[in-house]
Amino acid sequence: MQKLASALATLWLAFSVVFIALRVVPGDGLTTQLIESGADASIFATRRAALGLDQPLLAQYVETLIKLLRGDLGVSLLDGRDVAQIIGEQLAPTFSLALAAMSVAILLGFILGISAAQKGAGFALISRQIITFGLSSPIYFTGTVAIALFATRLGWFPGSGAGRFDQLILPAGVLGFHSAAALARVIESQLKHVQTTPFVRTATSKGLRQRRVLMVHALRPTLAPIITIISIEMGYLLGGAVITETLFARPGLGRVLIDAALRQDYPIVQGIVVWSAAVFITITILGDVLSACVDPRLRGSA
Amino acid sequence: MTILSRSLRTFSLFIVVLTAMSASRSIAWQNNDAQRIVYGLTLQPSGFDPHIHASSELGIPLRSVYDTLVYRDPVSQSFVSGLATSWVISPDGREYTFTLRQGVTFHDGTPFNAQAVGANLDRITNPATGSQKALFLLGPYRSYTIVDDFTIRLTLEEPYSPLLDSLSQIYLGIASPTALAAYSNERYQFYQVGTGPFMFVEYVPGDRLLLRRNSNYAWAPSFYQAPVENSVNEIEFRFFTDPVTRGLALEGGEANIMGELLPLDARTLNASAQVTLSPVTVPGQPLQFMINTQQFPTNEVVIRQALIVGANREAIIDAVYQRLSPIAWAPLSSTTTYYNADLVGSYTFNPGAARDALTTAGYADSNNDGVLEIGGVDLEIKMIAPTWGLIPDVAQLLEAQWRDIGIRLQIEQVPSRAALFDLVAAGEYNLVAWYEFGADPAYLSRYFTSSGDLNWSKFNTPELDALLLEAARQSDDNARRSLYYQAQQTIMEQALILPIRDYVNLNGYDTTLDQVSYDAYGWFPLLNNFTLSLGG
Repeated sequence: MQKLASALATLWLAFSVVFIALRVVPGDGLTTQLIESGADASIFATRRAALGLDQPLLAQYVETLIKLLRGDLGVSLLDGRDVAQIIGEQLAPTFSLALAAMSVAILLGFILGISAAQKGAGFALISRQIITFGLSSPIYFTGTVAIALFATRLGWFPGSGAGRFDQLILPAGVLGFHSAAALARVIESQLKHVQTTPFVRTATSKGLRQRRVLMVHALRPTLAPIITIISIEMGYLLGGAVITETLFARPGLGRVLIDAALRQDYPIVQGIVVWSAAVFITITILGDVLSACVDPRLRGSA
Repeated sequence: MTILSRSLRTFSLFIVVLTAMSASRSIAWQNNDAQRIVYGLTLQPSGFDPHIHASSELGIPLRSVYDTLVYRDPVSQSFVSGLATSWVISPDGREYTFTLRQGVTFHDGTPFNAQAVGANLDRITNPATGSQKALFLLGPYRSYTIVDDFTIRLTLEEPYSPLLDSLSQIYLGIASPTALAAYSNERYQFYQVGTGPFMFVEYVPGDRLLLRRNSNYAWAPSFYQAPVENSVNEIEFRFFTDPVTRGLALEGGEANIMGELLPLDARTLNASAQVTLSPVTVPGQPLQFMINTQQFPTNEVVIRQALIVGANREAIIDAVYQRLSPIAWAPLSSTTTYYNADLVGSYTFNPGAARDALTTAGYADSNNDGVLEIGGVDLEIKMIAPTWGLIPDVAQLLEAQWRDIGIRLQIEQVPSRAALFDLVAAGEYNLVAWYEFGADPAYLSRYFTSSGDLNWSKFNTPELDALLLEAARQSDDNARRSLYYQAQQTIMEQALILPIRDYVNLNGYDTTLDQVSYDAYGWFPLLNNFTLSLGG
């Protein structure tokens, strides 16, 4: 219950910060339309009043908060579409990309992390290099190279679009690769740490092969922080990945958010931020629960 | 077998399966029963309603969804009949009577008639609609009269010769009054209904826009070909906002045709056999920087002239535009009606002359910091630079070139039209980059007259006002030419703008397509005429 309370508090904080940040910047989508169209100010005054934008800031804040609690995310300032519907339309492509990328990340992350934790050169060294590359290279670069190589030159996979499974492969691969690097780094350091613990040294001294020691005995206690990292990455991905969506010409929450922010279409920005925060918090709570299941040491305190 | 090698084996199997699936995908792609192509759009406009929004991007698909009363022939540039079969202009130039075509229906079955045209004019002129371009195109339009079901008369406050040009633009396309009434102003853009050769199927913002051929289309303008067996029948428009991915998408077959290719990509693709480059010079204003005559230091004409003479436009065309655009010399681009070709070569690059002029005018670098001063104030100019059209690259080169003549440039980038308008309204700028498109130069009145709403150079003289306003009123071609020539001369003499390059849209299309051509306004493809090449 304490978790739920703190989750709600975080959500409220996210909403308030976004609300204030948006209002601090002068202007809004409607005002800009006014300037561009040269229309009479009274028309826009009517529209603003209808949307409640002429109220004092505190009144707007309270009203938006109350509507939010009722599940009403408002409508776009510019084309009147329901924000909840806009978010709903983006869910399928955003979720499919996030799930696919996370699958790649987990698979690749474990392979790289476990390899990197082993001593010596060979595959372990290569893994460590790959992890460093994944952590330090910008996704704009790797994404463009991926499109140029796999889509344009080799023609193996499509380099843009959403809706079909094969259109997921490149963006999920690129996105997953970078998440995998982050995950692998955590796995590697966790494994290295746990190898020094008494119970692992006991297993090694009993004569078990290094790989078996790692897999069976060492891995399990390290799973808790790894699950935490996975849930954080997942929560982040579910909020949309702007650069990936732009590069691969995919619809998604990230692009909608950026477009709305540039056009000062507040309700959409607010709605997406609150939604992303809610999703993020939910995933991390689930991650915590899962960690507690896996690692008995974490159970007990709620 | 260890877990590690087992998972590696599964992973490789996974990859093999995916590759196999993608191989079958590419075969499916070539099986083009619907005769569909993918057209790459390059930016997500803030809205797709032609009566409301001003972006030229929206016209790329919508030009084929709507017909206009008249059309401009792309070759002869003269006006031909569209939804209006003939028209009569009164001797005083204030009344235009259009005889409308009979037997035309909108895509939703509504019959086309004079009342439909009236409903469209009502919508555009209604202040609640907030039209950003269509309304301005109508100029001094005052009202319409329905003479009978197929005759409508437009009355103007004063003569306005660009009216036919305006009525031939997509922004004044005729929409179904039934559809207009059924949806609010903000929602109509998702349910558009016209009379054109393609029907609007759906628009999902950020994702795609789909058009399908109208098989009942029987009232095409003279330059539209009749559909043939291998005509393109379905077009999916997708948004490729990242410039780098455009060339890649075209090469890789994600899109069959793409506009606004990066100049470097265009150059490389041009060499390949798979892609045909189709550069189109767009009539209108060139890419230019408007110079604020009411802000220090550009309030002095000697500074403004020095900026132009100190700018190496040749180098910019070379580096940024790969020589695929011509240098601009005037407030109009070379393919615009009434372009004054005498201005070619005015203010050629001469940094020495610029420095001399500045020294003579009393600017000196007394503290040796590389920047000239006058009265103790540094010569620093502020530029508002949009992030599109490679303008930041141009700005960077200008910064270096002007540093050479002792002027410091501060660049403020703006990511959207909205942000640009905001900064301009604040007034603290010396230069702002801008361009507008159109075949008739009447829009110059918005930029260079004291009553103009976009007069960002803030230059007000009764002489220039008179030239431009009279030129818009005049119906005699030669008189208009003479007036616009003089206006362009004045604008350049006063150095109100720094013209950079004529806008060339670098289109590319792959071997799937044939018969690709663009209309008189340069931006809008004649989708009706596109065919699939018989080679597949």
